[in-house]
Amino acid sequence: MTTAIARTYVAPVTVDDVLAVLSEHPRRVVAGGTDLVVAARSGKAPLPTDLLAIHRVGGLDALAASAEGLRIGALVTHAALEASPEIRERYSALSDACALIGSHATRSFGTLGGNICNASPAAETPSPLIVLGAAAELRSSRGSREVPLGEIIVGPGRTILNGDELLTEVRVPRPPGRSGSAYVRLEYRRAMEIAVVGAAAFVALADDGTIASARVSLTAVGPRPLPVDAVAERLSGAVPDPDALAAAAELAVHAAQPIDDIRGSSAYRGAMVPVMTRRALERAVQRARSTQA
Amino acid sequence: MSVLGAKIRRPDGVAKVTGTARYTADLAPAGALVARLLYAGHPYARIRSIDVTRARALPGVFAVITQSDVPRVRHGLMVKDRTLFAEGVVRYEADVVAAVAAIDDEAAEAACAAIEVDYEPLEPIVDPEQALADPVRLVHPDWDDYATAPGLIRDGNACGFCDVVKGDADAALAAADVVVTSRYRTDMAHPVPIEPRAVVAEWHGDTVSIWSSTQVPYVARAGVAECLQMPERDVRVVVTHLGGGFGGKCDMHYEPHVAALARVAGRPVKLVFDRRQEFLAPDMRHHPLTLEFTTGLDRSGAMLARRARIVLDTGAYAGHGPLIAEIATMMAAGPYRIPNIRIEGHTVYTTTGPSGSVRGPSGPQTVWAAEQHVDECARRLGIDPLEFRLNNLVEPGDEGPTGQIFTSSVAVKECLTKVAEMIGPRDDLPEGEGVGFGVGWWYSFPMASAASVRLNFDGSATIVTGAQENGSGAVMGLTILGAEELGLDPSQVSLVYQDTDAAPFDHGSGGSQTTYNNGRAVVQSAIQVRERLLQLAADHLEASPEDLELHNGRVEVSGSPETGVDFATLATNARFAGEQLVGISSPPPAAMPDALACAGRLALASFQAPSFFAHAIRVRVDPETGVVRVLDAAAAHDYGRIINPLGAEGQVEGGVVHGIGIALLEGSQHDAVGRQMNPNLLGYKLQTSADVPDIKVAFVGTPAPDGSAHGMKGVGEPPAVPTPAAVGNAITAAVGVQVQHLPMTPERVWAAIDEARS
Repeated sequence: MTTAIARTYVAPVTVDDVLAVLSEHPRRVVAGGTDLVVAARSGKAPLPTDLLAIHRVGGLDALAASAEGLRIGALVTHAALEASPEIRERYSALSDACALIGSHATRSFGTLGGNICNASPAAETPSPLIVLGAAAELRSSRGSREVPLGEIIVGPGRTILNGDELLTEVRVPRPPGRSGSAYVRLEYRRAMEIAVVGAAAFVALADDGTIASARVSLTAVGPRPLPVDAVAERLSGAVPDPDALAAAAELAVHAAQPIDDIRGSSAYRGAMVPVMTRRALERAVQRARSTQA
Repeated sequence: MSVLGAKIRRPDGVAKVTGTARYTADLAPAGALVARLLYAGHPYARIRSIDVTRARALPGVFAVITQSDVPRVRHGLMVKDRTLFAEGVVRYEADVVAAVAAIDDEAAEAACAAIEVDYEPLEPIVDPEQALADPVRLVHPDWDDYATAPGLIRDGNACGFCDVVKGDADAALAAADVVVTSRYRTDMAHPVPIEPRAVVAEWHGDTVSIWSSTQVPYVARAGVAECLQMPERDVRVVVTHLGGGFGGKCDMHYEPHVAALARVAGRPVKLVFDRRQEFLAPDMRHHPLTLEFTTGLDRSGAMLARRARIVLDTGAYAGHGPLIAEIATMMAAGPYRIPNIRIEGHTVYTTTGPSGSVRGPSGPQTVWAAEQHVDECARRLGIDPLEFRLNNLVEPGDEGPTGQIFTSSVAVKECLTKVAEMIGPRDDLPEGEGVGFGVGWWYSFPMASAASVRLNFDGSATIVTGAQENGSGAVMGLTILGAEELGLDPSQVSLVYQDTDAAPFDHGSGGSQTTYNNGRAVVQSAIQVRERLLQLAADHLEASPEDLELHNGRVEVSGSPETGVDFATLATNARFAGEQLVGISSPPPAAMPDALACAGRLALASFQAPSFFAHAIRVRVDPETGVVRVLDAAAAHDYGRIINPLGAEGQVEGGVVHGIGIALLEGSQHDAVGRQMNPNLLGYKLQTSADVPDIKVAFVGTPAPDGSAHGMKGVGEPPAVPTPAAVGNAITAAVGVQVQHLPMTPERVWAAIDEARS
């Protein structure tokens, strides 16, 4: 008899090898390890016995911008996204979010694919990606499919990925001219923070300065990122003055499903939803106005 | 030429910041086993039985021990109310039930899981007021049989009562023009040193060597000797680099558990805590408090009377609680001229994690409450809070709350005036900004201490001291005091510490006492060496000792420095003549100031050489979210004579940041049965470097005649004390509401604003 735990660890260098391993036996995929290791060390979730490390896989860390939009490999780090001038200028909500995640160390090791697949309700990047209209490529040895970002996360720690699938790339369409986006979160201190309430907003302006289209998604006030269609509908065609944005932001309350936890009561979270939504909208509008058509 | 006040950079700094410094957890004796403690899990339960048979039979398991494997000894600083392992009952969630030593972490974990404990859960006692009032449901039914410190007043769950009574507070309140009452409460706050504690024990026959991340190695040694019933001479405690303590590593903690495991296992054993254990298990955190203040005022703005009642929830075991209640009553009076006072401090048992000493025990919390109450008094009178304080603060010759006459450097008004100037104008601030003040006082703690100083044959000197570093650098600063007496540069003085076998007893790093008490011993020992040097040099130079002075490693004739002899020559000649130049001393401290006969006073009936201080803080409050940012901090302190300005400034800056954390975010949340809900650094939020404001520091005051060597006072703890008060008053100045629950989290600030609106 032994008390030792049988663990396995594989670290392939090609996507095909990763998919082959997964098709044989589904196992936990680890990239930067910033969620997995922290959860194991804090006792929140034991280290999975079978690990598939993808940090050595070639090509998954590519970040490409074109006239169509962004292609972000699953292994691109938050630090790389935060440092990209293209993302800061055209995909600002994603840049905002990546700059806020954890610490320098977290941002340098943590990856976009990991942030999505870990499926934390408080994850920073999903809401910005949702309002930017992003989709993710899911690959398996059976083939590949592209799924809108908003459909990937289904609940805390749960995604629609099958056991043999790997998220390989996130694709973000290039936003139209005169548009802007922003992500804001309620934070109790200025670094090393986790969202208590977060809101991402995207706003595109028409030639007459009214809102052509808008999208809002909330973070940390539900089991998964919550797109708020009511706010978008109210704002469509509206003049983006402070009153209109504030009134629309109030509608976000109805979409939120805040809970009580150590970071805040549901009442407080609920009250913060319109505040964060309004601030995200205001910043997105401001950025849209400063964008060249 | 004096070296006092020279800016001395601590010699361990480079090793610490470059990662080469070795801490207890880095030690790896050959064959060392891994220790693991089994905690209760239940907040309150009777143990029907413990069966370790299965655990002991597991492979890789060398020792599994419970209370039945160690001597039946009750220990505790104020009340001997606990045993090493739970005996028949567990009183908080991390009460230790058993300990295991095994070949690796996984074997140790498996062994803990295989220990069969049959619990009968009991209804937790979590409300301190109910616990005080309840004569039947007792956390310690046998409380009356426990041995205690002399002077302790107890009754059932009330494990300590003390008061401050002066004049007739009730009559004065009845006659006052204006009476203001305020109520506050505070959450448990933790010391959170960067290094979770670690202990390594190894036996050699009947003697044991213990490496421990403790602030108080001699107290730990005494605890091991007491709990394992062995002579102190057979216990050696060594401290390598310590990764901070903030009080959390005061008192004996798990040294006896690890020593007992190592004895049974016949191998060295190492215990290393993780962050969760560091939050849950030790008995050192700021007490949760409830406080009520009533102050009587006359229209002109004078304080006539104060009544206050403070309840400290000390949790399952008394620890330092009753002594800390004493400090709290002094904080509740504050450095104000108040002729009539009645302040009560109640320490009460509950079935929650025990609290004890954290930097400035009870200070940040009690002063936060008292100083917000002072602001409230000023508001009710329509007097500016700065002016109101200056009207009422003490001056030299005034009488303290327990009757002591302030004879020391008493520069509290200067401190306040100084920070008001440093923080800048308070009106015309942008919307949402405000400035607040907090003033206070603290004790210097006279205690026994000893040190030796020897002159090496090359003319350098070595101090051997039992004083212990907690990370503050205080011990390293002792070289300044030795160098001053010997006319050496501090770099010519080395230091031996960290080993109880090497040096005389010291109380350890707590109570801001290291420089205050051990410094006195270093000075006296160095003077002994100096006297011999002067005599030997007088013989050598054929001069009178009165005409000689020590300078730069030489004894020289005053006024003609070319005539002299260096220390190396004197020390070497003395050696061949059969003498070494060694000084050793343990000079007693000055007597405590006279005090009124108040009840239940254990060690602090009055404050010796009190320090005084004032902080001013400027904040910006986001009124929509309640998020508070501290923008600027100004701190002025009266410590009498400053020995090492670089060290003192570091203490003040660290204290300000620690205090901001306590003010805004640091607090444990508990579930309905008293278990901590946020025992980790994600849920329990410290300040980060990004949150640190601009901090301006000033030292005012003059060498204190009632202080220790050179007129110094204790420095370590006070800087943490007035910051939460200043932050609280700044929030009120910014948004017009007072938050009565510490920490003043965004949600609590928002709720206060929201309530005022509706």
